[in-house]
This record gives sequence, C-alpha cells and structure tokens, in this order.
Amino acid sequence: MVANKGIFITAAIITVMLFISIYSFNMFLNTQRERVVIERMEQVIDEYQEIQALSLMSDAFGKDMTCLSLEKRLAHMDKTLWDTGIKIDRYREVTEKFIMDPFYIDQKKKFNRNEVIYLSMLKGMKDWCEFNQTVILYFYKKKEDCLHCDDQAFVLTDLNKEIDSEIAIFSFDSNLELPSIDTLELFYSIDSYPCIVIEDDTYCSLHDKNQLTARLCDYRNLSICSWEKIK
Amino acid sequence: MFNKMDPGYTILVYIVWFLSTYFIVVFLLALFRNRDRLYDSPELNENKELPKVSIVMSAYNEEKKISESIESLKSIDYPKELYEVIILNDGSVDKTSEIVKKYADGKHIIFVDNEKNKGKAACLNQGISLARGEFVACMDADSIVLEDVLKKTLPYFEDKEMGAVTVSVEVKNANNFLQKIIQIEYILGLSLFLKVFSSFNCIHVTPGPFSIYRKLVLKEINGFDKNNITEDLEIAYRIHKADYKITNCMNTCVRTITPHNFKGLYRQRRRWYSGALLTFWQHKDISFRKRAGLFGYFVPFNYALIILGLGLFLLSLYLFFSNIIRNFSFYSLTNYNFFSNLLWNFDILNMSIFVFFGVFGIIGMIILVTFGLNATRNAQKKKVSVYFGYFLLFFMYQFFWLCSFFLALFRKKVRW
Repeated sequence: MVANKGIFITAAIITVMLFISIYSFNMFLNTQRERVVIERMEQVIDEYQEIQALSLMSDAFGKDMTCLSLEKRLAHMDKTLWDTGIKIDRYREVTEKFIMDPFYIDQKKKFNRNEVIYLSMLKGMKDWCEFNQTVILYFYKKKEDCLHCDDQAFVLTDLNKEIDSEIAIFSFDSNLELPSIDTLELFYSIDSYPCIVIEDDTYCSLHDKNQLTARLCDYRNLSICSWEKIK
Repeated sequence: MFNKMDPGYTILVYIVWFLSTYFIVVFLLALFRNRDRLYDSPELNENKELPKVSIVMSAYNEEKKISESIESLKSIDYPKELYEVIILNDGSVDKTSEIVKKYADGKHIIFVDNEKNKGKAACLNQGISLARGEFVACMDADSIVLEDVLKKTLPYFEDKEMGAVTVSVEVKNANNFLQKIIQIEYILGLSLFLKVFSSFNCIHVTPGPFSIYRKLVLKEINGFDKNNITEDLEIAYRIHKADYKITNCMNTCVRTITPHNFKGLYRQRRRWYSGALLTFWQHKDISFRKRAGLFGYFVPFNYALIILGLGLFLLSLYLFFSNIIRNFSFYSLTNYNFFSNLLWNFDILNMSIFVFFGVFGIIGMIILVTFGLNATRNAQKKKVSVYFGYFLLFFMYQFFWLCSFFLALFRKKVRW
C-alpha cells in the first residue's frame, strides 16, 4: 500500500480551503452584525426624531395633547437603546479583539451620544409632563480599568428586566472620552467606577441587587419595594 | 486577565485547528485511495523454502493468561520444525514458571527461567540472542494470535528493506463500556491508522502484543533498549534510523487484554505517553532528517500537535471554569436569580469564530471515526454511545498526557 506524496499537497489545499470557508463565513457574519447594529442605530435616530417632533408639538399645542404619547415613545426608546447597547456589546465580544474594530467603537460613540440626547430630553420632559420614571445613570469603564463594572452591569440588567417600565437606565462608557460624557462626569462628580447616579445623587461603588433596590426605594415606591424583596 | 479573545489564544486555536484538520484530511485521503487494498497482503510462496521463525515471549506474573497464549502459539499454521517459541520468565512470583514448564520441550517450546526480574526489554533481548530463526516475533504473554499470523506476515519480508511487520491489535474481552471504547481506539489507532501510516512509511510503533522483526535488523540495532519503558515504540525509531521499513498487516491480528477501569487505563497511558515523550526526546535528532524520509516530519508534527492541543485544551478548560466562576459571582449579586439573564432566542450572530472551528473539529472527528470503522472488518456497530465514549476518551487522554508530561519533565520513574 503506497500513498502518493501528492496527498500532502491536496490535503493542504483542502485544509486551507476549509479554513478560508470558516473565516469567510465569520466575515460574512461580521457584516451581518454591523448591518444589525446600523439598523438599530437608525431605529434609535428615527425614534429620537419622532420624540423631537412630539416635543415641539407640545410646545405648540400644549402638554395635555402630547405628554401621554411622549411618555409611551420615551419608554419605547428606552428599551430600544438598552437592547442596542446590549447588541453592540455582545457583537463586540464575539469579534476578534486583536483585529481593530473601529466600527464598534464608532457605533458605541454614536450610541452614547444618543443616550445623552435622550437623557437631556427626558430630564426636560420629566417635570413638565410629570413622568414618574426613576432615572439611573451608570458610568463604567472597560474591564481592565474597572474591576467591578461587569458585575454592576449584570445587576442593572437584571433590575431592568424586572422593572423596565419604572426606571430609565443610561449607561455611559467613560473609555470613549466623549466631551458630553466628560461633562456629565464632572457635573455628577464621578471619581471612581462603577458609579451610579440615582435622581442626581451619586453613588460610586458596586451595588448588589438588594443594595440597589434599597437605594431606589428611598426615592420612589417601586413595584419591587416590598420588605421581602429588599431583604 | 486572559480571555478568549486574546490574540495568543486565537492564534493557538487557528494553529491547532489547522494542524489537526490537515492530519484528518491526509488520513482520509490516504484511506480513500487505499480502501480496497487495506486487507491485501502478499501471499506466502509455499513452494519456496520457508524461513525459520522464533517467537520470543517475556512473562511476568502471567499465571492466568499464559496457557491460552501458549495454546494459540502451538496452533499456528506453520511447519512445527520451522518455528520455535522461546518463553522467558522474568522473575515471576506466581505460578507462571510452573505452567510454562509443562509446555516446554526444549525443542519447539524453549523455557528460560530467570529468577530475577530484569525488565521486559532485557528479557526480550535475552530471547533474541537465543533465537535461531531468520525472523523474530516478539509477543506479550497476555495475548493470543490467530493461526495465520506467520503466513500473513512473513511474505512482507520479501522486500529486503522491510525491518518489521505489525498486525492488527484487537481487544480480547471487551466486557464493559470502557473496554468497548478502547476496542474502537485499538481498531482505529493500532490497526487502521498504522496501516495508513505504513503507506507513508511512518509507523511509529511496533506494538508489544505481537510484532515480527527481521533478525538481522534486530542485531544491527542491538535489540530493544532496556532502559526504555516503551521499548516497542523506541525500537521503531531505530528501525527507521537504520533505513528499514515497517509495515502493517491488517489481514491477521493479535488479541490482547485491556484495562477494565479508569485506574488501569491511567496506569497504562501514563507509561505509554511518558515513554513516548522520553523516546521522542531521546531521538529528537530524527526530526526533519532527510534520510528518515516522511517519518522525520511525521514525528515532530505529531508531537507539536499533541503539545499545542494540550495547551489549547488547558487554556480552554481555564476559560470554561473561570466563566462558570464569573457567572456564579454575577448571580450572587442578584440573589442567584438564574432565570433573569437566560436568553432562549438563538442568534447565530452571537457566536464567535471559535464555535465554528469547534463544530468543524467535531464533524471532522465524527467523519474520521465513521469512515475508519466502515473501512475495518471487525468494527462494532456505530452507536451514539460509541461516539460519545470516544469523545470522552479523547478528553481523558488530555489529562493522561498532562500527567505524562509532568512525569517526563521531572524524570519520575514510571512502572509497569
């Protein structure tokens, strides 16, 4: 039984082709990931424009007419933003780190800017339309710079799932060094990470779910504010 | 902290995937090309003068199995006056000596009773020095051969460059699940793989249960290395170095015993693997040596794949457990509310490239096992449990390799 040495060349060609196929498939998925993120961002911008229109309408037609639909819109946008943020993070996780991914950094910047815009709008509308959502700002840095930021994000995600309609969480990536985020950090005296701002009060340290629930319940009577849940 | 997206880890995944896939593809291509010739073997020309053969068997505490072994040797289909059996007691403390004495006649079955245990390789060398045959078969005392073992293997020596011939190694009594899985491993690893490797002259071992050598070659290379715990592996290196060929005959087989529990398997593999590593180190000069032919490339390729694969396995294990610990620490912050962050919706976009490499790797292994078992005659039915067991064994081997690396690195003495 003798094997032709050409087998080694054929095998090398087949292996390279298989490798290229898997790599190309992953590249294709990367473009799909980018497409999904872009679509999401467009959706956020659409919603932002709709809210802007409603906001202008309320100036012209009075708050009674627009506040209700504005509240619904804002709640929807809050969810869209949160989902988009999670998608960007997940997709970034599965993209190779050692290949620079400027797309995700760019999208993350856009996302954070949109959050600042949404926050500004919400703050304006909140008093005027008497919205009762508790606003939570979450400032974080990447894992290497912040030991407990992932933990805090996990707690906030868990909480957001439970009382999504009662709170509005804005997460800001301090590593992006956006002027708007820097200004917010200065305004709220953020000196360490993770840091949470609840209704303009700053709390910089890791909060587990019980601690966070207790803090939130100091501000407003939320659905999770029963004694059993806080304990 | 190290994570799965580290460049080092990513590159390691690529290299291991590439090398292992290349190995599988080479094997499958060679198998497809030769699938109709696997069981072809040259016929013994009985009109010509048949050569004399000596079968050397070293026995240490084999009272339970040696009778069956000798009986199988007695029933070999070959002229009695043309083959002799030399059985060497290696200082057994049981009744091995008494049992063999009953069979010994001083002519056809010769018994050498060594009172002191001197090790298998030294014993075999002693037997080889007494052998009168042109060819010497070395056999384990716990194994049995088929009647046609000499008639099937001797014709290969018509090729003057042939130094040794191995046969298929099968499991004698596969009773429990572990033994059934090992049976598959033997069918593939010690039969089919060796047959395919023989097409590149890359057989790296002449299995101890039964292998036959040209006596001139054994003399030229001074027999077995008595300081090596895997003497059947080490001798293959020296046969290649002496420019002789080794081939495999799948047409006949030797049936041997196999460990029946994890502890026994661990002891066996610890010896095999640490012996293999030390042998590689002992003969590292064979790597990339032109005179050694493809074997000179096969050996370093094989060990590079083993070392890198083990490295990848350990890093992946670390990632897996650190991920579990990390998740537990996350859930400890939310009162262990495990259901809050579970995502049930499948999204292929959330999968990294490693998942695809892993899936392709598993598919490659399944194809290899399936086609391998299809190509062999004595393969058992391909049940899901067989595949599952084979993969389980694959993971266990990483652990065995790790222990063997430790033993080889610190030169710890490994016993039989």
